[in-house]
Amino acid sequence: MPATPQDARVTSVGISAIQYLFAGQPVPLAELAARGALESDAGLLADFGFERVHVADREAPYDLALAAARRLLDEHCVDPASVDAILVGASPSAMSFAPAREAREAAAALLTTRRFQYAASRLQFDLGCDGAALLGLDQLACTTLFGAVRVARALVAAEGMRRVLCVASEFFPARAGREALWNLTSDAACALLVERDAPVNRVRALRTVSKGYYWDGDARREEVVASYFPTALHVVDRTLADAGWSRADVDWVVPHNVSSRSWAVLMGLLRLPRARLWDANIAARGHSLAGDNFINLRDATERGDVRPGERVLLFSYGYGAHWTAMAVEA
Amino acid sequence: MRAPDTLLVTGATGLVGSGVVTRLLRAHPALHVAALARDPARLAAVAAREGWGARVLPVPGDVALPGLGLASLDRTRLARTASAVLHCAADTVFSRPLAEARRTNTDGTRHLLEVVDAWRRPVRVAHVSTAFVAGRATGDIAEGASDGAHGWVNGYERSKWEAEALVRAHAPGAVVLRSSTIVADTDGTVRQHNAVHRALRAYHAGLAAMLPGTPGGALDTVPGDWTCDAIARLALAPDAAGLTFHLCAGAGALPLDELLDRTWARWARDESWRRRGVARPAIADLGTWTLFERSVHETGNARLTRVLSALSHFVPQLALPKRFETANVERLLGAGAPPVRDYWDAMLADLLASSWGARAAGGERAA
Repeated sequence: MPATPQDARVTSVGISAIQYLFAGQPVPLAELAARGALESDAGLLADFGFERVHVADREAPYDLALAAARRLLDEHCVDPASVDAILVGASPSAMSFAPAREAREAAAALLTTRRFQYAASRLQFDLGCDGAALLGLDQLACTTLFGAVRVARALVAAEGMRRVLCVASEFFPARAGREALWNLTSDAACALLVERDAPVNRVRALRTVSKGYYWDGDARREEVVASYFPTALHVVDRTLADAGWSRADVDWVVPHNVSSRSWAVLMGLLRLPRARLWDANIAARGHSLAGDNFINLRDATERGDVRPGERVLLFSYGYGAHWTAMAVEA
Repeated sequence: MRAPDTLLVTGATGLVGSGVVTRLLRAHPALHVAALARDPARLAAVAAREGWGARVLPVPGDVALPGLGLASLDRTRLARTASAVLHCAADTVFSRPLAEARRTNTDGTRHLLEVVDAWRRPVRVAHVSTAFVAGRATGDIAEGASDGAHGWVNGYERSKWEAEALVRAHAPGAVVLRSSTIVADTDGTVRQHNAVHRALRAYHAGLAAMLPGTPGGALDTVPGDWTCDAIARLALAPDAAGLTFHLCAGAGALPLDELLDRTWARWARDESWRRRGVARPAIADLGTWTLFERSVHETGNARLTRVLSALSHFVPQLALPKRFETANVERLLGAGAPPVRDYWDAMLADLLASSWGARAAGGERAA
């Protein structure tokens, strides 16, 4: 596995702002079951820690992406012209602009020249970030924003950028129900501002392991489940080592919102107290492609649970398959 | 002790029983064996394979039956001629429910001891037990009676403990031979597949997420050929009377971390396997393993449930670290069992070469 450069010459970056938006209204588990949107029994998913999720209908992924990014810029008084790059992980081109209920038609539009309509371009224009370089990220599923932070970090170091806006907004596939490997899914968008020398959420280490053998997650479902835990341990331990932290140094584990049950197993393997897992959003929000970890980090900070200077471990898994961990100093 | 004229053997068709009989016949040219046989045809096949000849006499019977199910004539003849008993018969399937395991292991031992009691003369009893009568006990396990205070992981362990208790009560001078798990011969040849091999197969298939264990925990196994040698030498040894022997790796057990790393390294010699990115299983405490196991069962995923079910009757032992003392074995044999690492890699190679026993009918190969 290629090493992620972690030496002292890497420029310090941090996540200075986080903003997010969930689609529509929360839909309870029982209603999802009634709609036939679940593979598993609703009781099982409830036992696993889920209660409700947000399901997009009239909203388009782009609508949420733009709203989240705009809120971020406004909330933190960021001059759009100062944004050096926008990294976007979104539904494929034309699908990004279509309401969720029209996803099928939008997918067909990918066979036309609407294939070349890009959310990144439109965001640059709509936000007024006229000087921003544009990059799209794909094929990282639920680890998209981690990938964006990785690239942002590299752009800051390699090209001297100062501010990189990272935005993710991809709805769960319209005909895939609401469940992925016993996890309930929400539709949302999340925006981050990655800044050089940010005083908060300093990224101390970031590692990703990608295993292309699991490219067909459906066909290799059992192997994915079996590999999830040991590979997670491996990535977490390597990330902590890169950061110079031991497991005991971790004050908070800020999760992607897979089931509470899954996290109970992983925390057991990490031999970390369950109390250090910030899992307040799993029941109410479910798991989104947008970037649970960063949504949770914002909420945990706003609630005063994560305090300045505390050592936070973020971990996520994405289809493809990718395991990624980030060590952040709040 | 002078070799007995006739040795009554139970379990002579099994992996251990057949190997021990072969060695005893070789070591004691005047010895005759009366082999209790539930399936005479199977005994004949084993006898032919091993080249036992006329010195092994089949005796129709079944340990699960009172009086061993012996015909009157056989009962009378044994009472007159047998001067030693080697009890190898056992149901070694870890997943067997306790009641079923008891039929062979506990009741079978009781039936044998009742038959021996009726002979009303001194008889050497050599009882092949398992090191895992120690059950859920942890720490150093002495070569002596186990009080059973900690309970057991599965019905096999408990029924064998009960059997051993019967032997100690009814035949205090018995030689108790506690074998660890046999996984291969010293050259790595796997002759019978068991839960250890199934766990390794799950690992190879990328389906082993974790194993229960503790830091510093180790897997104790023994080679089959060494075990048969040891039993053959100890069963009739004069100075073995009344002693318990741990036929175990003891200090040579393989630490779990090393086991997993070694195994991964062996599998990874195959580039196509390595490219799959199969992760080394994590070592989980028993609570986390149990939670994971329960979660898989709750999801209803058939394949993973099957894998875990196959492991569930054995892997909890990995989280109960124990070290079997082997002083008696070392004293009487001059050396203990080979360290597990001496044959582990060869065993892995054999498993791959045989496609996990696929090329041997019934998964059992000739000694």
